[in-house]
Amino acid sequence: MNIKVEASYKSLNKHHEELCGDKVEILETKDSYIMILADGMGSGVKANILATLTSKILGTMFLNGATLDECVQTIVKTLPVCKERQVAYATFSILQIFHNGEGYLVEFDNPSCIFIRNNKVINLPFERRIIEGKEIKESRFQVRLNDAFILMSDGVIHAGVGKILNFGWLWENVANYAVDVIDKAPTATRLANTISQACDDLYMKNPGDDTTVAVAKILERKVVTLFTGPPLSEMDDTRVMHLLMASPGKKVVCGGTSANIVARYLKKEVRTTLEYIDIDIPPIGYIDGIDLVTEGVRTLSRTLTMLKRYEKEELDQQFFNDLDKKDGGSLVAKLLLEECTDLNLLVGKTINVAHQSPELPFDISIRMNLIEQMKDVMTKLGKKVTLTYF
Amino acid sequence: MVITICIGSSCHLKGSRKIVDQFNELIMVNKVEDKVSLNGSFCIGECMNGVCVKIDGALYSVLPETAEDFFHKEVMGRLQ
Repeated sequence: MNIKVEASYKSLNKHHEELCGDKVEILETKDSYIMILADGMGSGVKANILATLTSKILGTMFLNGATLDECVQTIVKTLPVCKERQVAYATFSILQIFHNGEGYLVEFDNPSCIFIRNNKVINLPFERRIIEGKEIKESRFQVRLNDAFILMSDGVIHAGVGKILNFGWLWENVANYAVDVIDKAPTATRLANTISQACDDLYMKNPGDDTTVAVAKILERKVVTLFTGPPLSEMDDTRVMHLLMASPGKKVVCGGTSANIVARYLKKEVRTTLEYIDIDIPPIGYIDGIDLVTEGVRTLSRTLTMLKRYEKEELDQQFFNDLDKKDGGSLVAKLLLEECTDLNLLVGKTINVAHQSPELPFDISIRMNLIEQMKDVMTKLGKKVTLTYF
Repeated sequence: MVITICIGSSCHLKGSRKIVDQFNELIMVNKVEDKVSLNGSFCIGECMNGVCVKIDGALYSVLPETAEDFFHKEVMGRLQ
């Protein structure tokens, strides 16, 4: 099975706290993806240190092939002891998914992982054992495409307790809510954001505890190939077109001259509209056989802005409303963020002479700069990026 | 009559959207909706001057400030 895991999380800090007492680590080993959520006892600095130590130790040791027993022993012996309570304590969950589809889940005192398959909540089979006096739950299973795993800190199931809800947002309620919204929030990032938003609402924007939702979603590898900029030598046009048309996934062309090259090669027409969805972004075009055709640098700089917002985790409803807009820049951004695991960039180095005019408000010979930045952000977001210049 | 306005990067920055709006309005005011069709095109390759506008194969450079005069001269002029 050729799978890819999209992992993402969102934390709300306890009211008046600058630091979060929950910590999520997302890692990739040679043959697996690992997501760890640790919740340190208490709140503020102390909790943050406990959670950070726990998640980092678990992550580093797992990455280097240590067993669960060794990890737990190390944590127990390393965590500083709380003066007031005389214990060293952080709860944790670890989800590991191997490229071959095997899944492994470990839980210690966190609310149990919500596992959704085909819009239903499925109970995972757990085995319990005692390590260093702590009861640890372990589960092994096989994942399928589109499975979703939701890890959370107890702030989620305590949301609204004593205020809007007598007993808080019970695990079953959270699970049912997740099933209800999963079609509308099809990516890990959107789902984590949606559930976290619901917690914030139940807390009436005043969380009584650190609250973290971490989601892993099993995806198929999806390739996007994006061609922008005419090659320096016209001889390379055919080479670029072969690479573009032979690529297995979605095909995107950004740039007027690039679109003309593609149309000429495919013996099709470039059709454009005059619909301005956003006054700053030229309208998109159409070529039969190409999934998305847009103007070049204006569009790509909008796309880059969106990717950077996503990477900085400035994710609120406004961001997703912007991402759902139909201007060329948002369309490319949505494709790259939500329907792409592997990105191939085919970039021509020709600079449009007209763009060098001093009358223009900014230098739009910045295509290569844009592309390099795009590559960096996409790589940070866990996508596999290849970049070829012509 | 087919009028094609370039909406490529360069022309976009020189105001193609404004010209599209102006032309749309002028077409309505002059009641020539059934005689003129307004289209967009990516870069036509004549980016050096104003916004590139093509009328029945002939290329012109237009700026938002000259759009109205241009419309009366080249578009209305040909229709009459």
